[in-house]
Amino acid sequence: MGIFPAWGLALEGLSAGAAVGIALAGVAILTGLYLLKPRRRRVVVAFAPLWLPGAGERRSERWARHLRRWLSLALQAAVFGLLLLAAADPRSRAADRAGRSFVVLIDRSASMSATDEPGTRLGAARARARALVSGLGPADRALVASFAADVSAESGFETDARRLERAVDAVRPCEEPADLGRALFFAAAVLRGQPHPTLVLVSDGRFSDDARANAAALLDRAPAGASATPSLADVDVRWAPVGRRARNVALLAFAARRLPADPTSAYAAVTVRNFGAAATTVTLEISAGAASALVDRVHIALAPGETRRHVLPDVSAPGARLAARLLEGDDLPLDDRAYATVPGVERLRILRVGAPNLFLDGALLSLGETAAVHGARPEAVESTRARWTSYDVVIFDGVAPVPAPKTGHFLYLAPRGPGSPFPGRGVLRDPVFSDTRHGHPLLRQLDLGDVNIAEAERLTLEAGDVAVASSFGAPLIAARERPGLRVAALAFDVRRSDLPMRAAFPLLVANALGWLAGSNARELPPALVGSVVRVPAPRGATRVDVRDPTGARASWPVTGDAALVPIRRAGFYRVGDVTLAANAADVVESDTAPVRTLALGGRTLSPPDPPLGHGRRPLATWALLVAAALLLLEWVTTHRRWTV
Amino acid sequence: MNAAARAPAPGGPLEGRTAPRGRFDETFLRRLETLRVVTKRASLGQLRADRRSRRVGAGIEFADHRDYAAGDDLRILDWNLYGRMERLLVRLFEEDEDLAIDVLIDTSASMGLGAPPKLDLAAQIGAALAYVGLANLDSVAVTTVSDALGEDLPPARGKGHILRVLRFLDAARAEGRTSLAAAARDFLGRHRRHRRGLVVLISDFYDPAGYREALELLRYGRFEVVAIQVSAPEEARPALRGDVAVYDVETGEERDVTISARALAEYERRHAALVRGLDGFCRERAILCFTVMSDEAFDAVVLRVFRAGGLLR
Repeated sequence: MGIFPAWGLALEGLSAGAAVGIALAGVAILTGLYLLKPRRRRVVVAFAPLWLPGAGERRSERWARHLRRWLSLALQAAVFGLLLLAAADPRSRAADRAGRSFVVLIDRSASMSATDEPGTRLGAARARARALVSGLGPADRALVASFAADVSAESGFETDARRLERAVDAVRPCEEPADLGRALFFAAAVLRGQPHPTLVLVSDGRFSDDARANAAALLDRAPAGASATPSLADVDVRWAPVGRRARNVALLAFAARRLPADPTSAYAAVTVRNFGAAATTVTLEISAGAASALVDRVHIALAPGETRRHVLPDVSAPGARLAARLLEGDDLPLDDRAYATVPGVERLRILRVGAPNLFLDGALLSLGETAAVHGARPEAVESTRARWTSYDVVIFDGVAPVPAPKTGHFLYLAPRGPGSPFPGRGVLRDPVFSDTRHGHPLLRQLDLGDVNIAEAERLTLEAGDVAVASSFGAPLIAARERPGLRVAALAFDVRRSDLPMRAAFPLLVANALGWLAGSNARELPPALVGSVVRVPAPRGATRVDVRDPTGARASWPVTGDAALVPIRRAGFYRVGDVTLAANAADVVESDTAPVRTLALGGRTLSPPDPPLGHGRRPLATWALLVAAALLLLEWVTTHRRWTV
Repeated sequence: MNAAARAPAPGGPLEGRTAPRGRFDETFLRRLETLRVVTKRASLGQLRADRRSRRVGAGIEFADHRDYAAGDDLRILDWNLYGRMERLLVRLFEEDEDLAIDVLIDTSASMGLGAPPKLDLAAQIGAALAYVGLANLDSVAVTTVSDALGEDLPPARGKGHILRVLRFLDAARAEGRTSLAAAARDFLGRHRRHRRGLVVLISDFYDPAGYREALELLRYGRFEVVAIQVSAPEEARPALRGDVAVYDVETGEERDVTISARALAEYERRHAALVRGLDGFCRERAILCFTVMSDEAFDAVVLRVFRAGGLLR
């Protein structure tokens, strides 16, 4: 294979020596033939004396005739040269390499729906990707994939630019946040073992810190072996950025909930944030019900980067659907709408087993008509065993029946003895709440930081149990969740602490009852698009019907006592008999400020190389086409007798 | 004209005859029959050959007087003039005689060129003239010429001979060189003992030695000469460009020519000069001359000849 380093070309067909030899011989033969006296075309005439040789031909005309012949020679030489060029089949050295393996990863997350680019950011990303795949070298292969919360391969590894362009055009926007880590993991997996792997990320660069961290781990990980976890360490990772400006006000949160202290009352709160670089005033409207009756309308002034919270204090209609929207347009309409449902009122059936406890009774009384409490003496605990599963929650106050129940919902206060679900390992003196899991439903809106406890039992947790709050490793509040079983336990007697004297106690009881009874299932908070929501299913159900905001229906399997429903778009989902609001608001996705530099791990991603320019068509093809055109020209000039 | 009108006339000489194929197809015969009708109207009432000769003979129409010479028939002595003028004058009368028509058709190789070949039109014109002559009971002979006198068809009268004429002309092939003067000398030698008449020479007149001598010879031989020059359109305006070798079909001479627009104009000028030269030469010598193109219809040419007058009455 001959190579012309100066031109960056390599010959795939004839060798350089053979091409030069044939060229010299061809030019010599062509020139020789043209120098020979051409054999004239014989024309039979009736009377030759009428024809005079060179009749009236001027000197200039004679020269023009000679010139035309030389022009014909030049045309023939050009055609010969082009055919020789096609036979040599020169390719660019860049394209002549073993061929690069591209993965073009197109971000289709919510922020890519921003309209600061012509069309949308996704439209600009598609254009960049199209230019990329149409400019690949002849030996290059590419795979087009898109990602948001998950990854979709839009094509296999292809060399056909048209198929790749069709795959790029097939990418559609979605409302989910981008999971860069998952996308890069996919890219690393498909690029493993491919020659000259190159990853081109076409995105606005808006990713969460977690996603960046996961991505950075992939880039920093040691090169992948045959069986190792995929890595991008040896992959040439490029970034084609899109996005021009930041002009967006987003509804970051919208929820309605009942007051724990007064479950008969509900309120709604909406969080608005200005991601733009300029102050703005937005108009927020909140409507309710299927008829979208307007229930609130406010103007909110926002400084750059400011976040404001607006509360609608009394939302009386239980089960109502609420929709909030911003009237002013911005670059990302997706987060200008938010949805919420007003939780319904449920009347819990509670069995309290234990000695009289004014503190506990007081907390239960605070639930008002949302709870129906039945009581039983400790010695009658076994007589009530058969009815435990018929109650929403059974409270064992200082009682631990043996054997411990395997199904049902139970709240243990200071469990002791062999019946305790969390066996005691001794007494803990003067414990404090040193560690709390704030995200757990038991601790919602609770602050236990300065609670004083005289003593507590050292509870032993099994695998899968959760220490919701603990004192330096000793669980003070424990939770257990098994199929058909939910148990919460306080490791101490509330009467030997100042907890009942605090407002936190009735809240803790309400949270515990709500979590145990699964009332959260009926009062699910708004879900985020891109997440998977666990929706409790009716007992015995194996599938639930799911209707998404577009009205599309699907049947979803029940795993355990709940269905895991992926949330794809904002709006109201109906899962079984549960209404679930879903919002696209995401602080990362809504921040549309352009990202100038994308650094992952220790690498700052550079833009992709410009297209090779000659497209995917080999030079030989163009040479043949030009030769054909010259032959046509030669034929025309000969036929019209311009050159003969 | 419908098909019935174009068919050979019932009772005509062509009806039921086997027409030669080639140059003289059914269409030619139909048009020839039509031509006969037209020419018959032009010589209405002439049931026999009645061309008046300039010879003084036993006619009935007075022509002139001349002095008596010894040996003259005393019956034609004009006694009335002798009584008035005392001079012996004899009365001269125009003698009616039939016309001898000789159709000379050039069959040299150059006549085979053209599309259609010039010889085709020449043969068709010759056949048409012969047919009209035969129909008028003239004596018609047909002879081919090239560099000498070729085959000939002996003189004949009457329309019944037309098929012989057609077969003769259909068999004519274009070959050989052109030497009109040699052919004219042969012709005169062959007709030394015959009466002089009309000679129709149909040729392209591409004679390296020129046509003048031939025409002069015929004229000096006291023949009434009609020259019909047949040219091909591509000879008048050839569509040639570039470097070519022109090959003379008769002489075999080959010469390299670069045909440019200028050279083409020069050729056309020379060709036009040849045509005009023949026309001028004939005009000066009271020779009827016609120039036709090989793609013209033969009947149109014949009618043109008739309209020019003087050929047949």
